Amino acid sequence: MIALTRRRPELGLLFWVAAVGITGSVAVAAAEAAGFRPQQLVIPVTFVAVAFVLHVFLAARGVRGDQLLLPLAAVLTAIGLVLVQRLASNLLLQQLSWTFIAAGAFAATILIPRDITALSRFKWTWAILGLLLLMSPLLPVVGREVNGARIWIGLGSVNFEPWEVVKILLVVFFAAYLEEFREVLAQTQRRFGPIPVPPVPYLVPIVAMWAIAMVVMVFEKDLGATLLFLGIFLAMLYLATGEAFYTLIGLALLVVGGFVAYQAFGHVAARVDVWLHPFSEEVRFDAGYQLVQGLFALGNGGLFGAGLGNGMPERIPVVWSDFVFDAFAEEVGFAGALALLALYLLFVYRGMLIALRAPTPFLQLLAAGLSFIVALQTLVIVGGNARLIPLTGITLPFVAYGGSSLVTNWMLVALLIRVSDATARVRGTP
Amino acid sequence: MEITFAVLLWGVRIAFLLLLYLFLLRAFGVLHRSLVAERAGDSATRALGVLVVERSAGHAPRVGERFSLRASTSIGRDAGNDVPLSDEAASARHAVLELRDGDWWIEDLGSTNGTLVNGTRIERAERLRFGDELAIGRIAMRIEKGAG
Amino acid sequence: MTRSIAANIRGLTLVIALAFLVTSLGVGYWTLVAGNELSTDPYNPRLVAAIRDRPRGFITDAAGTKLAESAQVGNTFKRVYADKTLAHVTGYASFQFGASGIEAAYADSLIGQDPADPLSQWRARYLRERAPPGSVVLGIDPKVQQAAVAALGNRRGAIVALDPRNGMILASASWPQYDASLISDPATEESAWKGVSEHPDRPLINRATQGLYPPGSTFKIITGAAALETGIDPNAKVRVDDPWQADRSWGSYFVRSSSRAHGDYTMADAFRLSENIYFAKIGLQIGGPKLAEYAQRFGIGSATRCDIPAARGQLSSTGQLDRPTLIADTSYGQGQILASPLQMALVAASIGMGGVMPTPHYATEVRDAEGHAIRVIAPGPSGQVIALETARALTTMLVGAVEGPGAFAFAAKIPGVRVAGKTGSAENPSGAPHGWFVGFAPAEAPTVAVAILLENTARGGEDAAPLGGRVMQAALGR
Repeated sequence: MIALTRRRPELGLLFWVAAVGITGSVAVAAAEAAGFRPQQLVIPVTFVAVAFVLHVFLAARGVRGDQLLLPLAAVLTAIGLVLVQRLASNLLLQQLSWTFIAAGAFAATILIPRDITALSRFKWTWAILGLLLLMSPLLPVVGREVNGARIWIGLGSVNFEPWEVVKILLVVFFAAYLEEFREVLAQTQRRFGPIPVPPVPYLVPIVAMWAIAMVVMVFEKDLGATLLFLGIFLAMLYLATGEAFYTLIGLALLVVGGFVAYQAFGHVAARVDVWLHPFSEEVRFDAGYQLVQGLFALGNGGLFGAGLGNGMPERIPVVWSDFVFDAFAEEVGFAGALALLALYLLFVYRGMLIALRAPTPFLQLLAAGLSFIVALQTLVIVGGNARLIPLTGITLPFVAYGGSSLVTNWMLVALLIRVSDATARVRGTP
Repeated sequence: MEITFAVLLWGVRIAFLLLLYLFLLRAFGVLHRSLVAERAGDSATRALGVLVVERSAGHAPRVGERFSLRASTSIGRDAGNDVPLSDEAASARHAVLELRDGDWWIEDLGSTNGTLVNGTRIERAERLRFGDELAIGRIAMRIEKGAG
Repeated sequence: MTRSIAANIRGLTLVIALAFLVTSLGVGYWTLVAGNELSTDPYNPRLVAAIRDRPRGFITDAAGTKLAESAQVGNTFKRVYADKTLAHVTGYASFQFGASGIEAAYADSLIGQDPADPLSQWRARYLRERAPPGSVVLGIDPKVQQAAVAALGNRRGAIVALDPRNGMILASASWPQYDASLISDPATEESAWKGVSEHPDRPLINRATQGLYPPGSTFKIITGAAALETGIDPNAKVRVDDPWQADRSWGSYFVRSSSRAHGDYTMADAFRLSENIYFAKIGLQIGGPKLAEYAQRFGIGSATRCDIPAARGQLSSTGQLDRPTLIADTSYGQGQILASPLQMALVAASIGMGGVMPTPHYATEVRDAEGHAIRVIAPGPSGQVIALETARALTTMLVGAVEGPGAFAFAAKIPGVRVAGKTGSAENPSGAPHGWFVGFAPAEAPTVAVAILLENTARGGEDAAPLGGRVMQAALGR
């Protein structure tokens, strides 16, 4: 019992999570059925129970440190369940099953390995494993092509996107590698005027790793994941070295690469055209239909939304995974959308704070990199939904329908909690 | 009846938005309080530490040399250690000096000749206080507060 | 010395926070700012959401004949249209392709949420109540419409007839047509849409309001009005010698007379015989800026206010008339002018109404489910475009253009009625000229104004004039 009281703030927040999840579910169900039946509460209550179980698990294990991330991830997942209920109720049970698996993965990541710093000792293992997983969709039997992108592997009826796991493996690898690279850089720093001259032999493996990943993504035709990996690479490099120059070079490469991709790949050009002229006669009924419908949904949202269950998000093709943000914004308005963005920003902010206080450079880089993944993913998908950037294939973390995304993001949360726990143990804070 | 249902439904929708914002506010509150607690906890533990070499066998380490302590500092004959000792009596990986819960601990990694704290050979691990003396072979070091 | 990781983390967090801010602003734009515009976009499915799951109101013509109604198919509804000739007015209503025409413009009224009844909109949004559908009554007169459709036949072009006293549109014909019922039927909508949207003759366009063409000699009405109001004496004789150019700087460009004229012309003569050189000369006297001003007054280059969207057109590609050759060209109706038949009908209507231009509208009334009128659509005139005396003088000359000796527009004569009108043959790069006729009758107190436009017709305005006569006659018999 004493152990349970150590995580009181987390427990308090989880009650609010329960309130949010149950209220949303009731609203959606009642609007749909024009009535209310208690059976409709089963799914949200089940998820809330899972969240509480995880809380008890953390308390019983004596995990110290952060108490904000579990409730944040839980409330986002709860909103996700409400939205799946609203947009694709036939997939609701599936999504709930994935939350069970995600909870299991979370618990496993809390328990294994015993010492989180051990992760840094196997960096090449992670790198190779990551590349292998990344290439697995290209295999003949298990690889599946969906909507023109070959990024899935399937075992029986279960489909999984390996790049979701790979992004975490890559961050772990980069964090470990850059920790060492940092020291080398500190000793051999030479500059050519304003331009830093990097110790090239040490830079080569990491650039090679990243280049292989990019090539694989190009083969698999996943625009979004490519963008994500590039972003992660640049961010980790900046975090470790602080050299704005490397970042500028990276961004320049991005622009050049993007231009080449636009010329060379039809599907990239198509996405950019849809982004630039979605309402033109040729585009709006064809390739741009999805985005145009998404924008109509946003327009219908106004300040307070059309009301849960009252909008018309079903007009957007594949809304439950690609356009959940627009669907949510239509029904809860700008007010609700802003709250959702604030939740993500809070999550990232908390992750960065954990990174700042971490005891070793590896843990700092790890926590900051993981937080950055969530930030970048959210910004890219919301940006695409709101026509700020072209659409990619990434989904909104925790909220959008998708098993692999949910499982890996909960593992990400577990890793951040472990870093926070390690910090607390070192510094002697609760 | 239709109207009451419609009103109730709208009530639930508004409640959802309100609860979302209330959660946000509470979460900020929790964050703020935990940050304050962390800062307070930090200042309570003066964790910065330094190993100052008092006696040495040869030139590595030199007498007077100071080693900044990290969360985990390795000590031994192997050159890869944070504190390398060129004494035959020291094992390759002899001991590790760790910060645990705001206190400094010395842990012997199963060395051949053991580690002494203030003259007494330690069992396995022992908590240190600033001013304590560590001895490995013919090398003696003192743990002090500070940043080196 | 490399920066500490902590400093880098702080820097990165700042960048992330800024990115979130920008993203929020973007989302805010679409939800708060663009919301209104998006919700009235004809392709917004929310606009047509009420098509499938409930019956929509009727669209009827002035006599009460149903032009559009909802038919039940199992649990859902679809729209059917009785009169193919008015498809370009009623528009279609498809779940996938949105709505157009009256179906889009009066979408709210057709589901019982007319803006004149704000309570119904509130009840629908918040209480999810389904108001009984209202209906929209158009001003289309079946006799006049029949005459217009028969007159146009299957020649590409448009005919529009309106009552100049109040702007009510009596007839609207546009060819080629399409079948709106096919597009509104879920079973056939995709193939029908592909058919009409990819057809080279573009049947979906309402050529009466959206078709843009050079007006040809019908523009001379505007030139004449500008001339009278800038003090040019209409009775002064102007020497016409074909071909003509103002000076050598015009190079190989000459203004050509359609009747190879050599003689002295008054303005009445020039109207009657549609003399290009006369108008080119006085156009240069009026000057580019003044001519442009009058064109603007008559609505050329502005989006006409009509209940369904009307095209804007242009006076020239820049909106100005800066070169003498362009002024000359524009004065007799060529140059770069683009106008719609509706715009030219309004020009004629203004002359007939003593200089007062009416505001056109297809719909006249919105009724509730019981048939009571809840909103009357009667927008007032858009303004006094020219002075009463100018209009009277032009009317006399335009009557001369129909009845006078050798008048080009003689075919528009109606027995027993004084008809005022003007033909036009607009040269265009793709072959035969477009044929125009604009006019109003009876000249002294008109009750109808028409514009006829035939695309690529062999004898230009001569082909259009008789159609004008027929349509006006049908309207006068009301």
